Order: sequence, then structure tokens, then C-alpha cells
Amino acid sequence: MTGRTAAADAWIRYRRTARQDGLVRALTLLCETVGDGGPPRGPGGHMVVPVGVAGADAGDVVTTLTVEEGTVVALRSRAEPGVSMTPRQERAAWALGLTCLRFGLSERLLDAVLAHLGGRTVGDAKLLHQQMVKGGVAEAVIEQLEIETMLAGATPGDLDDDVLAGLNAQITETDRMLLRLLGAVSFLADGPGQVARVSELIADVHFGSARAGEHGGAA
Amino acid sequence: MIELDDRTRAIQRQARAWAQELKPLALELDQDPDAIHRHLDVAIVSYLTRMTVPPEFNPDPVVIDGRPFYGTGTLERVVFAEEVAVGDAGMLLAAPGPVMSGVLVDAMGDEQQKKWFYSRIMEKPTWTFFALTEPDRGSDAGAMNTTLTPDGDDHFVLRGAKRYIGNAARADLGIVFARTRPGPLGVTAVLTETSAAGFTAEPLETIGLRGLRITAVTLDDVRVPAGQVLGRHLRATQRGMWSAVQGLNRLRPGVAAFGLGIARAAYEYVLANRRTLNTAERHRLDRLGLRLTELRQLIWRSAIAVDDNDPAAGSLASAAKARASRLAEEATLEALGCFGPGARLDHPLLDKLARDARGVEFMEGTGNIQKLNLFTGLVQGHLRRD
Repeated sequence: MTGRTAAADAWIRYRRTARQDGLVRALTLLCETVGDGGPPRGPGGHMVVPVGVAGADAGDVVTTLTVEEGTVVALRSRAEPGVSMTPRQERAAWALGLTCLRFGLSERLLDAVLAHLGGRTVGDAKLLHQQMVKGGVAEAVIEQLEIETMLAGATPGDLDDDVLAGLNAQITETDRMLLRLLGAVSFLADGPGQVARVSELIADVHFGSARAGEHGGAA
Repeated sequence: MIELDDRTRAIQRQARAWAQELKPLALELDQDPDAIHRHLDVAIVSYLTRMTVPPEFNPDPVVIDGRPFYGTGTLERVVFAEEVAVGDAGMLLAAPGPVMSGVLVDAMGDEQQKKWFYSRIMEKPTWTFFALTEPDRGSDAGAMNTTLTPDGDDHFVLRGAKRYIGNAARADLGIVFARTRPGPLGVTAVLTETSAAGFTAEPLETIGLRGLRITAVTLDDVRVPAGQVLGRHLRATQRGMWSAVQGLNRLRPGVAAFGLGIARAAYEYVLANRRTLNTAERHRLDRLGLRLTELRQLIWRSAIAVDDNDPAAGSLASAAKARASRLAEEATLEALGCFGPGARLDHPLLDKLARDARGVEFMEGTGNIQKLNLFTGLVQGHLRRD
């Protein structure tokens, strides 16, 4: 195994943890392994972190969201938004880690869709085996294969900010496809739809398109 | 392109004015769905409590520009729904009124049932519910398990469960679909009071559209008088699912308008709150504006078809609804992208719109169900393509 492959393998942990153990465990792992001074703020001065993670008290709580196996808080930093004090390499590691984590959550959502629709019937057939459903699942899988291929072997700094922002937008769109397939259960606050909501919030905080001078909250 | 007549423009202007009252209440209702009880005096709520009550049962209609409005026409309803949803979709859904049940009572009720139902509606602000969907059978209404069985000469008993039923925990009465025997003709609809022993409705927490307060309903040997079974005076083929489908066809353009309203609210939010737009953003917003116009035209076309009893109505309504649910999602995500990192936290109203938009997909049939309806209409020749 080359050094580069070993480095790339480290990023698969976030994806696997997200897929197997869920959002809170994966986000906790990322916070604990990337960043010495607590999780980095997004460009607008916000953070989304699990309750109790070191550095989770570094701002004003905007909202608290319960997900399948824990609670996360969204914070707005008390410091002025602006140039991040986080070292560039650390920011790159965080951005790649978040993207891998969100992709793992998207894979977890696909698992949920397959299990849920595989257990339901329409007439005498499995709902999962309806042609339109098969097609919808395949569309989402095509998106995931593209994202997975882009992330394969990546180490921090390999994919620039625009690429990562694009991949995160693609993950959001893929999740929306899967949520629509999942049906009304995806609109409940105690199910996979809530995890997708928090995943979107993470993308919004860290990969939302920066607009200098336009960032004030609206009345 | 379709243009509105003076009468419909009058309700559009009025609804737009009313909707302004809703915007300041939107986030409050999102936080606390029971806040609706504190806002029953809002002008629009007074109209919604009576909307769709026919003239013979509504001696006190809303009068706009000297014209009475009953909300019984589909075109006026969709024009109204779009404007109100721009104000707040949650409030539109949270308000008391007969809308969905009323359409079924109108289609399937005999004179006595209509009189009973509408007198209850007119007595005081009354929430109603419409219980068709069952747990794990959202797309397979034919597999309905809830049963309606005779209990003596003049009563029936309801047994079963329903899920994703809006307003049932606040409602006084509504409609439950149940099976009297196997097969497609074995489904019927029955007026049910929530005060009846054995009826329970447990709220389900949702990500958006929280004002609707969707519930899981349990029917544990609920006794209903025989006089509350709808459609007994109709032919067997016109009862139950057939009537439900006809009713949903009539309501579907309104759901599409509701999605359009959410999408338009996001679009207008950007125009109102972004100080400058670069060329790319301006181009994207212009394109979104055109898509809103196109969808509005399609919704109006479907509504006119419903009002005219055009065979194409169901197909057009499905096309409009499928497009509306997607555009609501796309427009709200597009709008969030105009406010940079942390937009969901710094612009809570826009975040709410994005959460609400996700729910439109599951109202009155998913996108896939609408596409299947549309295809059926196409191959059966309902869509005149000349």
C-alpha cells in the first residue's frame, strides 16, 4: 500500500461510519480527528456539531435538531464572519471529510429506501419492483456512482472548493431523489428525512455559495 | 395563454391582500402548530372556514367587489390557493374548513347528509379531515384494510388505521374510507365524528408543513349511524373509490397551486432581500420566473378543465401537480443558494419554505403516481393532442 493510498483510506472511515452508524457518530468522529481547535466554522461563521463535542459552545445556538441517534446543534459564531483562522490544510481536510460523511449518509438513505420499499407491496408485487421505482433508484445510483468515483482516492487539497461545492450540491439532489422514493415517511421528523435535512444544513453552512457583503439575515 | 376574467381577478387581489397578514405568523405556526387557535380572527381564516360551502347552505358568503364568492369553482380556488400559499402554506392547511371533505360530500352525499354536514360547518369554525391513506399503503389504496361492518339495523362499525391524515386531531368530523367487501367496488366513504368512542388521532411530527398537523388515526370499533354512510343513493360503481378519485381530481389543481405558491414565495424572497444580482443569478432567476408562469398556466388550464367536466381534467391536474411539487423543491433550493453559507440559519423563513416544499410531493399522490395517471390519460385519448 503506498502512502497516498493509506492517506486516502483514512477518508473512507467517515463515509463508512456515516453509512453504518449514522450522522452523529460520523460527525463526532470527524470533529475528534480533524482540527485541533475544535470544528472549523463555515464561511458565514456557522457550525453544525453534535451536542457535547469540544468546541460546540463556541457560538449562539440557532437551532437544535434531534436525529435518529442523537442531537446536533447549529451555532452562529460570536466572532465576526471573515477570513478563517483555521489553517488551510486543516480546512481542506475538514471539507473533504464532510463531503465523504455526507456521501455516506446518502448511501445510508439508499439502504433505507431499498429496505422500506422492499418490504411494501402494491397489488401482489413488491413496490421496489415497480418499473418506475426501479428507474428512480437507478437514477439515484448513477449520481452516487459519479460522486463515489470523484471522491475515490482523494486526499485533502486534491479537489478544490468549487468541485467539493458541486459534489455537495449533487449529494443534496441525490438525497432528494431518494426521499421522494421513500414516500411520506421521509417527511417525518423522526426518520431518515430528518437526517437528510441536517445533512443539507451541513452543506449549506460549509459549501453555500459565498456572497461577500450580501450575507445579512433578512427580517 | 389563459387570462383571468374580472371576477377571478377580484378574488386574486383579495387573496393577495389577505396573504400579507399571514407572513408574520408563518414562523410562529411552524414552531407551534397549535398557534392556529390564536389566529382564528385573521380575515382569511374566516373565508377558509366556509370555502366550498355551496350557495344553498351558505347564506353569508364573502363579498368582494360586490360579488359573492363561495369557493366552489376550481379556477377561483387555485388562484386563491397560490396567493395564500405565497403568504404561508402552513396557515392555509391549518385553517378550519370543509375543503377536502366538502368535495366528497358534494359528490356523494344525499340532501340530508349535505344539510347535516354544512350546518355543522357553518355553526362555528370547524376542522375536518379526509382519511384515505393507510399505514404502508400510500400508493395502493386498493389494498385498503379498514373495514365498515353492519352492527344492527341502523349502525355500522369502523375498524382499522389511517396515517398521514391532516388536521384529524383538531377536527370535529370528517370522512373515512373503508371496505365493506373485497374488490374494487367494496370501498365506501362514511362521515365520522371524532368524538365517537374508539376514534383517536395522534399527531406526527413533520419536517415541514407543520401547521397541517398530520396524524395517525386509529379506529377501534367506532360506531357510526347508517345515515352517515355516503353514496347509498348512488349506483355501486359511483360509490367509494370512484368518487374518491373524482374528488381528488377536483382537488389536485389546488394542491398544484399550493406548490406554485411556495415556489413563488421563494422567488419573491430573493427579489426582496438580495441587494444586487450578478448576471448569472439574474439569468437563473429570470428562468425561474418563466417556469413559475408556465406552471401557473398549466394549473389554470387544469382547473378550467375540471370546472368544464373535460375528460382531460384528471390528466392535466396530474401533470400540473407533478410539475408543481418538483418546482417547489427546486425553487426553494435555488433561492437558498442566493444567500451564501449559512442561509438556512440566517434566513429562517426561506429555510421553512424549503422544508414545506418537500411535503408537496406526498399530498394527493406522489410524482410517480401522477405520471402514471398522465400516461393512462394519454393512451386513453383524454388529452386532445391536435
